[in-house]
Amino acid sequence: MRALVIDDSRAMRRIVSAALEGFGYETRHAGHGQEALDVLQEGYAPDLCTIDWNMPVMDGLQFVSAVRSNPAWRALTLMMVTSESEQGQIVRALAAGAHEYVIKPFTADALRDKLALLGMLPEEAHL
Amino acid sequence: MTLAPESVARPAHPRQVITALMDEATVEAIANEAWTALVGEDELLVPVPGDLPADTVSAWVDVVGPWTGSVVLTTGRQTAADLTRALLGEAAPELLDHEDVADAIGEIANVVGGNVKAALPGPSTLGLPVVGEAPVVRNPEDVCRIDVLWRGQPLAVSVQGALPPLPTPSPVHDNPHPNGASL
Repeated sequence: MRALVIDDSRAMRRIVSAALEGFGYETRHAGHGQEALDVLQEGYAPDLCTIDWNMPVMDGLQFVSAVRSNPAWRALTLMMVTSESEQGQIVRALAAGAHEYVIKPFTADALRDKLALLGMLPEEAHL
Repeated sequence: MTLAPESVARPAHPRQVITALMDEATVEAIANEAWTALVGEDELLVPVPGDLPADTVSAWVDVVGPWTGSVVLTTGRQTAADLTRALLGEAAPELLDHEDVADAIGEIANVVGGNVKAALPGPSTLGLPVVGEAPVVRNPEDVCRIDVLWRGQPLAVSVQGALPPLPTPSPVHDNPHPNGASL
């Protein structure tokens, strides 16, 4: 399975990627929403996007809305991974089309649990 | 619509300082949670104040809402580099550059700031992390700060208001004439 990790922090991209690769994902990175859209438009087809909220150029909520407005990307699973933890923000993200919401700081186990709920754990991660 | 002068002078919701909204124990709990998740499960913040070195670096995020201010992480430059290595683990490059350190401590400030924001009355917005010389304290009454040690090195987390103190209302006198004379 493939994941696109979208976060303006290099450190956080490395942390999220390390966790996902530990579950069996192949990962690519983008530093903001527009860069992620460019990657998708180039033809990269991930199964999962993890998305930070506060990013320059295009934030995570704008990215989710853009993906959801394109029927070609309907199958893409979108997971917010962000330090925005107000209830209202979570509701906004889910209403815009995100499937799941992980609040920073998080542990790899918490990420695994969320992916399992979505049926998005590669087979080897169940072992 | 014209407002009576007293309606203009006295806002319906007086501005609250951070110490009325949050205590040091809450800031410490938020920082500790961020530390164990980001830096390492065995990494503890010890609530013992230490003297920050002369050469420090700060990372902060701004919170704008009913309470407006910044959540500022300050530590020595070497400690910031150690934090970066701890955060990145095996992914840390052999030689850290300034951007690695700024990015890592900025992300820690972002995570702590996001959780501080969630504990404040909302809705509020969170800015992008900034790294540099810490913003000045505008109102010493509007600061909630913890000083801790990480691996024996001092580190401070300050939740500090962006606004100067409100002017102290002048006492109301029955007789406004400075010499006390009656008309």
